[in-house]
Amino acid sequence: MSTAEFESVDVLESEITTPAAAATTELEARNVSVWFGQRKVLEGVNMSFPKNSVTALIGPSGCGKSTFIRTLNRLHELLPGAALAGEILYEGRDIYSRDVDPVHIRLAIGMVFQKPNPFPSMTIRGNVLSGLKLSGMKRSNHDDIVEETLTAAGLWTEVKDRLDRAGGELSGGQQQRLVIARALAVQPHVLLMDEPCSALDPASTLKIEETIRQLSKEVTIIIVTHNMQQAVRVADNTAFFLAAENEPGRVIEQGATTEIFGNPQDERTLDYVNGRFG
Amino acid sequence: MTTQTLDPTALPNLAEQRPQRPWRKRTPRFKLAVVLAVIIPAVVTWFLWQTSTIPTPVLLVAIYLPMQLIASTLASIVTRGRRGIADSIVIVSAIGATVFSLVILLSLIGALIVRGWKALSPSFLLQNNIYISPSTPLEYGGIGHAVLGTALIVFLASLVAVPIGIATAIYITEVRGRAVPYVRFFVQSMSGVPSVVAGLFILTTLIVTGALTQSALAGGLAYAILMLPTVARTAEEVLRLVPDELRTGALALGSTRARTVFRVVLPAARTGIVTAIILGIARIIGETAPLLLAAGNSDQTILNPTGSPVASLPTYIFNNVALPYPDAVTRAWGAALALMIFVAILFTLARVLSRGRLGR
Repeated sequence: MSTAEFESVDVLESEITTPAAAATTELEARNVSVWFGQRKVLEGVNMSFPKNSVTALIGPSGCGKSTFIRTLNRLHELLPGAALAGEILYEGRDIYSRDVDPVHIRLAIGMVFQKPNPFPSMTIRGNVLSGLKLSGMKRSNHDDIVEETLTAAGLWTEVKDRLDRAGGELSGGQQQRLVIARALAVQPHVLLMDEPCSALDPASTLKIEETIRQLSKEVTIIIVTHNMQQAVRVADNTAFFLAAENEPGRVIEQGATTEIFGNPQDERTLDYVNGRFG
Repeated sequence: MTTQTLDPTALPNLAEQRPQRPWRKRTPRFKLAVVLAVIIPAVVTWFLWQTSTIPTPVLLVAIYLPMQLIASTLASIVTRGRRGIADSIVIVSAIGATVFSLVILLSLIGALIVRGWKALSPSFLLQNNIYISPSTPLEYGGIGHAVLGTALIVFLASLVAVPIGIATAIYITEVRGRAVPYVRFFVQSMSGVPSVVAGLFILTTLIVTGALTQSALAGGLAYAILMLPTVARTAEEVLRLVPDELRTGALALGSTRARTVFRVVLPAARTGIVTAIILGIARIIGETAPLLLAAGNSDQTILNPTGSPVASLPTYIFNNVALPYPDAVTRAWGAALALMIFVAILFTLARVLSRGRLGR
């Protein structure tokens, strides 16, 4: 990344609202370490996510960002050999305590994945409403939900005349916005996004970023991204992950996005946000 | 809800952290509910089985199964709320169906072992049947000639059916020629051919015309007709599972279509191809009718694939099982048990061999 791009950070800085640091904490990770078998892949992550904030997780591939967000809604435990230590508090309660049903956690903490995964056997409309059926959630006025969530995901105008076509017919960017709409239909309190724009063109990426900014008024968002301008554009807070060779990933630095990009305290962060390694 | 700030003194000590699987921990309430849901229906059923005259199958299907379903449903309501009902019904039904099919399978294997065990001995597996009459005691004679005959016939059948079957699958999935719909239709129709028809076909076209006599080769060809569609269809399915990205990836390196198929696609589908061959052999190895017509039978050890009728395990079983001599019937069960053991060994071997370094 060139210095020209780095300057754009300063231009944007004035537009970014102050991070909602004083707001209520919705989700909090305390000393979270993660293993696959005997291999430790993540160590001692402490992070708190204020309500209705956007947090970007940045860092090179293989440093445990995706693994970390999968621990936040209990998808991590589905992988073979998965193990974990530490606590993850959602609304003040450990989501890994014995009497917590993971189904409830995943309903409240939704997720959008790197690769768009609309259900192939369902229509666009059916995809949007699928979460309601799968979770057994009762909500009336389905038509309103379809319109609301597709509008929120920035897809409504493009698909409103073909809601009964298969979701798989849409382009990659449209599919990704469709699955965002699908995730929103169950009204999650937190939305995890694992590199949601990595396979999308700039126009689709821009639309999804607008969507993220809009959503952050009601939803707490945690987004993994390799696109540093994207972190600057959408995130209130940023955390930088790094894994040294043969060592588990750690959080090197975290704080307000403006600080991480404008005035990083750690040299490795400075190098990374300037594109000098990783 | 209170605002939470990180208090470093309240954090767990990093050095003392050990990998844990908190999702496997269950509350005592959950454990109790599961144990009760398993024990109560079983105890009630056992009590009824001891005291009443209700026939066992009726007891299991009409009393135990509904009771277990209700117990599991109640247990899941207690532990997870109404959300757990569907989960518990699906789990209980799946376990029930699995146990049901296992019972059938195990009772079949059990019957084979109980009735055939007496006959099995090293000499039974190695000797042939010359000078043996149905009334000869069990200690004499054996199925060695039939084992060799079956092995020879299956080998010849595989020699014909495996290359043609895989080539057909490659035509359908890789060459994608114009005739694909017709080829698939014919392959599907072929899989419905009754085995006796395959035997009759070889009998009328090759044996009656004098091209071949009843022999291992004729039997192998009849087997190949039955094996071919299974191999072709299964291989087609597994080749279809190979992602197109691998094909385009190879082509983008300047590979020809043939090299793409043989160096990339087939190796990627190797385990599946082995499965296709196994399923093909499993389809044919117990077929009796084609061999009665095309291979005949013999009491001698025959290794010449042409020229003379040859024994095989299915025809040996067929010839002995209906005889009015107890020892002959026991020999038939012994041969059936041996056939099953050979098939099990073959499949295990194939599984181990296909699990190579580069397997998935």
